Amino acid sequence: MTSPASAANRQLIPGRRLRLPSRPFLRFLGRRLAALILLGLGITFVAFVLTELVPGDPAAANLGQRAIGDPAAVRAFREHYGLDKPLPVQYALYLQHLASGDLGESEQTHRPVRTDLSEYVPATAELALTSILVALALGITLGVIAAVRRNKLSDQVLRVISLAGISMPTFWLALVALYVFFFQLGWVPGSGRLDPGLLPASHITGLYTIDALLAGQPRRVGNAVQHLILPACVLAAYNVGLLTRFTRSSVLEVINNDYVQAARAKGLPERTVILRHVLRAALPPIITVGGLAFANVMTGTVLVESIFSWPGIGQYAFHSATTLDLPAIMGVSLFVAVVYIVVNFLVDVLYGVVDPRIRVA
Amino acid sequence: MTIQPLPLRFRIGLRRRPGTIGSAWTQPLAITGLALAGAWILIVIFVPLVAPYDPLAQSAQLFLAPSSSHVFGTDELGRDLFSRVLWGARLSLPLAFFLVAMAVTIGAVLGGLAGYFGGWIDEIVMRATDLVFAFPTIILAMAVTAALGPSLRNAVLAVVVVFWPSYARVVRGLVLSLGQADYVSATRLLGASSRRALIVDVMPNVAGPVLVLATLDLGNAVLLLAGLSFLGLGAQPPTPEWGSMVNTGTQYFQRWWLGTFPGFAILSVVLAFNFLGDSLRDALDPRSSWAVKEQNR
Repeated sequence: MTSPASAANRQLIPGRRLRLPSRPFLRFLGRRLAALILLGLGITFVAFVLTELVPGDPAAANLGQRAIGDPAAVRAFREHYGLDKPLPVQYALYLQHLASGDLGESEQTHRPVRTDLSEYVPATAELALTSILVALALGITLGVIAAVRRNKLSDQVLRVISLAGISMPTFWLALVALYVFFFQLGWVPGSGRLDPGLLPASHITGLYTIDALLAGQPRRVGNAVQHLILPACVLAAYNVGLLTRFTRSSVLEVINNDYVQAARAKGLPERTVILRHVLRAALPPIITVGGLAFANVMTGTVLVESIFSWPGIGQYAFHSATTLDLPAIMGVSLFVAVVYIVVNFLVDVLYGVVDPRIRVA
Repeated sequence: MTIQPLPLRFRIGLRRRPGTIGSAWTQPLAITGLALAGAWILIVIFVPLVAPYDPLAQSAQLFLAPSSSHVFGTDELGRDLFSRVLWGARLSLPLAFFLVAMAVTIGAVLGGLAGYFGGWIDEIVMRATDLVFAFPTIILAMAVTAALGPSLRNAVLAVVVVFWPSYARVVRGLVLSLGQADYVSATRLLGASSRRALIVDVMPNVAGPVLVLATLDLGNAVLLLAGLSFLGLGAQPPTPEWGSMVNTGTQYFQRWWLGTFPGFAILSVVLAFNFLGDSLRDALDPRSSWAVKEQNR
């Protein structure tokens, strides 16, 4: 008898929520943050288990050919990672190394993986951000067109295009695009981030376009953009397909709502109705694709950057994979996974901000 | 007296959405998908008869451009590219079917157990799926294959590791929601055993979404396997595999045919399965289908 009554009481105190409006949101944030930390620990555990799975001697696998002739190096490695200790201790040590930023040393470059990563991240960041912007602009536009012209021929064509986008082997698209637009047509410069004779503007953000803009050098901005445009478009293909589909269904959810009819009835032009009323309500679900779009771009960079000689972590991962440079592969995987879950966390929070109903779920 | 009502029940079940499956299959998209997939399956079966050359036979005629004697040209070792692309189908397609079947089985069993029993089993299975989903697919597949050593077998294993969680989640969710559904309670109240309720009432409704997911995943599997081979972690030379053939194409950039044709093969297979999966979704789940019915306004 008491519990339903108290539950009813709780619901009957309307002031509670008004007095402390941020509390449910803080609780939501706290829950997500806890989940984020647990997931981060899980990721390190997966990486740890994978390094343990390596057949044979992990010292040999991690140190490479050099180790075989150098027992001192092997011993040092074993002590450093506590390979003579029980597994839980090893995992604790592994976490301790990670916390201090130690990702091991790359076999290929003979440098700490962390140093390598910090050098390659800006190039990938520039490429990935540009690609996501291109995909957002194209995908949302096409999705709205498909929804507005639903069941017409253009809608069917867009359906095929978006399916083609998500079916495209990115590495093949990159190859074909480079052959056609660079080798045959000469519309874009071949590879790298800038023409060979050009030096980047002074390092501020590491993004060449932004740096050149800040330094007020329009020629370098133009050159960097020329180099950026083809790889960014190739990487965007998958996300354009994905976003077109999401936008279309999301717009269709709201397009027949009463308030949209009301907007039309009061004589607003269809353009305004779609852009101001429909798209605005349809956008929140599209935010959720953000995390997915990021994952797709990272997948793409691993396969595509080497084709464009783009000096980012994708190319680093590609070379590490082809040469079986295990510490580097694990470093890249950990880094990408951590960024990915942080992006997903931000997407969650953003969605919670935009749509209050999510917070209580 | 034998009991007859069972077949009747199935017919009622099928009649629930009259005509939808048939009408979706007359769409051009579905027909194209079927035709493409069918053509590739025929190729897989009849490769030895169709392929004009031995895919591994090397010759002195390196880098021949496409011509009537070598339709797709020859590669860096003078092998006939057309034959290699056709034989590549025999590698990729059966592997894709195999690993999707594995992923469905593992995912369905774990997801079913998680949904049915709940408690700590549920917790463990769901946290495991969270972990897999915390990585972009190819990153995890790359790490797994690299750790186990590069080979086709390990690449397949890696793809299964990446693919099973989506089935576990779908099956778990469906088992949870369908277990509570009124029509399931109704059959239970009528005296049906839990096994019968599970098989007759729950299974058909789980099978649809899983089938859609599996069809789409066939394409994704081909794509991911090719990607891993492109990275050098999957099929090893001289095996004719599409992804590693495209990789060769990047090394001899100006011989455009080396990469173009294997890539086309990947695209057409993946496209076929995506067309089929999308049409299947239209047929089975009108709510999420692309073909919208205009609401009554």
